[in-house]
Amino acid sequence: MKTPLLEAKNITKEVNSPEGILTILSDINLTVYEGQAISIVGPSGSGKTTLLAILAGLDLPSTGQVWLSDQEITSLDEDARAQIRGEKVGFVFQSFHLLPRLSAVDNVMLPLEIKGDRQAREKALKALTRVGLNKRASHLPNQLSGGEKQRVAIARAFVTRPAILFADEPTGNLDKASSQSVGELLFSINQESDTTLILVTHNTALSERCELVHQLDEGRIQ
Amino acid sequence: MMQGLLYGIRRFPVDLKNSDLFLLFLSIVLAVSAITGVTFLGDRLRLSIKQQAAVVLAADVTLRSTAPIGPKYLSIAKGQELNTAETISFLSMALHGGNNVLSSIKTTTPEYPLRGKLKLLDFNGQNIDKPTGSPLRGNIWAEQSLIDRFNIAKGDSITIGNKRFVVSAVLADFPDRNVGFLTFAPTVIANIEDLDAMGVIQPGSRVVYRQLYSGHESQIESFLDELQDLPAEVRIQRIENIGQQLGRTLDRSNRFFSLAGLVTIIIAAIAAMISARRFAIRHIFNCSLMKVFGATQGFVLSALIGQLLLMTLLATIVGVGVGLIIQYMLVDLLKGIIDSDLPGPSLQPIWIALLTSSCLVVGTVAPYLQQLRVSQPIRVLRNDLKLDYKSSFLINAVAIFALVIFLSILFADFSLVSTIIIGLFLVGLSLFCLGALMVKCCSFFDNQIGIGWKLGLKNISRRRGESILHLVVFGLSLMALMVLTETRSDLINSWKQSLSEETPNHFFFNIQSSELDGIADFLSPRIGQAIKFTPLIRGRLLAINSGSNQGTNSGRMIEREANITWYDQLPDNNSIAAGEWWGMEGESIQAVSVDEGVAESLNIGVGDELIFNAAGVDLAVTVTSLRRIKWESFQPNFIFVLSPMVARELPQSFITSVNIPEENTQLVDEFLSRYPTVTSINLNSALNQIKNILNKASLAVQYMFLLALLAGVLTLIATIFASADQRRYESALLHTLGAKRSKIFQSIATEFITIGIGAGLTAAIGTVFISGFLSTQIFELNYSPNIFVLTGGLIFGAICIGCVGILAVREAVYAPPLLTLRDP
Repeated sequence: MKTPLLEAKNITKEVNSPEGILTILSDINLTVYEGQAISIVGPSGSGKTTLLAILAGLDLPSTGQVWLSDQEITSLDEDARAQIRGEKVGFVFQSFHLLPRLSAVDNVMLPLEIKGDRQAREKALKALTRVGLNKRASHLPNQLSGGEKQRVAIARAFVTRPAILFADEPTGNLDKASSQSVGELLFSINQESDTTLILVTHNTALSERCELVHQLDEGRIQ
Repeated sequence: MMQGLLYGIRRFPVDLKNSDLFLLFLSIVLAVSAITGVTFLGDRLRLSIKQQAAVVLAADVTLRSTAPIGPKYLSIAKGQELNTAETISFLSMALHGGNNVLSSIKTTTPEYPLRGKLKLLDFNGQNIDKPTGSPLRGNIWAEQSLIDRFNIAKGDSITIGNKRFVVSAVLADFPDRNVGFLTFAPTVIANIEDLDAMGVIQPGSRVVYRQLYSGHESQIESFLDELQDLPAEVRIQRIENIGQQLGRTLDRSNRFFSLAGLVTIIIAAIAAMISARRFAIRHIFNCSLMKVFGATQGFVLSALIGQLLLMTLLATIVGVGVGLIIQYMLVDLLKGIIDSDLPGPSLQPIWIALLTSSCLVVGTVAPYLQQLRVSQPIRVLRNDLKLDYKSSFLINAVAIFALVIFLSILFADFSLVSTIIIGLFLVGLSLFCLGALMVKCCSFFDNQIGIGWKLGLKNISRRRGESILHLVVFGLSLMALMVLTETRSDLINSWKQSLSEETPNHFFFNIQSSELDGIADFLSPRIGQAIKFTPLIRGRLLAINSGSNQGTNSGRMIEREANITWYDQLPDNNSIAAGEWWGMEGESIQAVSVDEGVAESLNIGVGDELIFNAAGVDLAVTVTSLRRIKWESFQPNFIFVLSPMVARELPQSFITSVNIPEENTQLVDEFLSRYPTVTSINLNSALNQIKNILNKASLAVQYMFLLALLAGVLTLIATIFASADQRRYESALLHTLGAKRSKIFQSIATEFITIGIGAGLTAAIGTVFISGFLSTQIFELNYSPNIFVLTGGLIFGAICIGCVGILAVREAVYAPPLLTLRDP
């Protein structure tokens, strides 16, 4: 019996707007188990990315709680949440968000260096080998294709061996072939290392490969 | 914390290659170079002052009197373990082979000089190592001018009074040159033991007795404490007094360099502020991303601090190096004006450099650190990487305030700093208005020209703020250089023009009344000018309103014998500033007219009574007028002018000034051989020296302002880089829409060359106004704009901004459009 890794309880997110208070997420409840792969799908503006940010501890809900590994992260301050992210969370973005002046290996080393890992380079090179880019280790992001950039970003996300990997539209900026290979990579990491995977995507092929698909519409899980 | 610091330091080399941190680095380097260049030079000059001051006295402290001082103070000093020496100086005729020359005779003890060095040469021109402080008895050392006048060879002798001396060496230099008698009389040094044998000192002779002392400061202080009962005629001279005088002169000259340094720092600070803003914008993404991957606020902050610390340190080291080079260049350039053999600089400028760089970094970047520290990781997901505008405004206000405070402390002159900042602000505001007008004008052309031109001009009006900033900052730096170039050439040219062809270039002294007719008959037909003689009376001001002259603030003036004259008519180059000229009444009143500047410093007014001693006679005279003297007229000018009634019958020699064409040196030689007792001073070399000094000093200041121009270029690059992302995106978009790279380049060239022309034009207009004001109001010269400087500035501005702008955005134009559009 798998144990819950992440639990979201009664999550609501409201923001101020010129028209008044705008509800982005409303009463979201979600449980994700260790090693599970789930996807969150929905139309643009449905609150997918906001939900992902709250689940990953990047943002705080207006009300509700998020528990990660039996710890309520919504009651923690920014630094404590950062520490938990550093230990347990990996993140892949739609726009890759590689630091342009750093080589591929330096980008992958970033989370390890933040943790003060003395073997950062070796681990980063191993992670790059895992994503098939060991020969591109010294290349700068602008010398890589879109698919390669995203693979570097995935290597960066799992180099710390996180318990949970969040991916926000990981194939959103890629062509079909690259999307396919990035998808393969994400699911193989999920299966090999029992890393929980939470995907936000419009890509149905990708979402259909997940154990569970949550449809988000107007801030509510349908 | 430590992890963050180490992370920041590890990432530093990569980040320094980044344009924003590199530009910030360059701005700091430039500011540090400017300040260290100035302070290194100032520091070396200050250090040399103490040495020079001691050299001027040849001691740490001297006692000076016109009567013998006696051995009492020497014994006190020896009891305090001070070094002592003595000199006795007077004017006397030196005779050789039937010729005689009035010479300044200095007799010394072997310990002379206590500070500074004697420089002696043998008759082959070779240095004599480690000379003693006085020649052997029966020997003298004579200056080259006397040796030339007498045509003396090795072993020849000259006579002073009753004693014949062998000239054993050529006196090339000695420390207290300016403390003695007329500096143009050739100096001879003899042994003090030979003084009696000369038999030239009689009661009433004008003799200066000096006792020289040196030692540790505490010993000197305790020695001086024991000198409470000094007779009135004995004066104490200390290096501090000399140092203060030199220091004041130095402060004045250093102020110009400080001004250039200050302007450079201010413009570099603007560049630093722009670079810091871009640094902050770029780092919002980095910091947010780091937080996504687990970095705490402390980690982010310490990583940034680590980088900034390292950058500050490196910029300081490079800046100090460049400053040192600048300082050596300035010293080299000023060779001849200042002693190029200056002592090495102290470490103080390095601390000032570190303070400058730290303050600039803290003032410009630190305010952003808080924004970076608290940047939310969610911003990465939202692509929200903008700075808070209101905070930015506050940050800039804080930065400017910090800069003003820092500069005020650094230059220890709040009024100078605030004047410069207000001045720059006002000039900047005027340039801003001009710039805004030009930017507005650009929009009128955009419908009547080709696409490349049109896009370029449109860019200027669209990036209105940036364009005006370019015009103002670059225009300001260019203007500073143009004003200096114009003023420099104008000043020298106008000064040259103010000297007519008849301006005297030779002074003849020591003319006796019996020689007047003969000299006039000799010179007048040969040079075609009437010869006018002015009486010269050696005298001394003893008292003002019967009070002692001690305690007045120009002791030097009073303690030295003064050259006095008498006139019945007011000379052309003098005008009355207060009181009335005596005119015909001069024959019946005992009156004196005083130079207004000296009168002010001695607190002398019309109606005051002055007591002079001349030729052993005390004269009480009333001040009836103060005169404004045109010293630059190169006519004989005198501070004190007596009425004919007082002075006509006093013992006097005469002086005259004439214009002898430079090439006619034979005439001077012939004249001097006919009248060997007359002393001649050739002013041509002095005129050339003044011209040279003006030229070099203004050139040196101009070089310093080149740094300000560099800072302007840096600001230009910083602002261009600040909009580089936007330009890259626009270029990619235009390229995608089918625009050729040549068209995009044409638009960029149009934009920057137009801004360059605008900056050159605003600088030229500003130059005309400021140079005009300086020339007419400050230098009192006629101003005519120098067309070469103005057009040169205009062309330089266009080329410089055009090239820098194109080079700076070149990368953006060549960036692959697909990548730029896909991954902004």
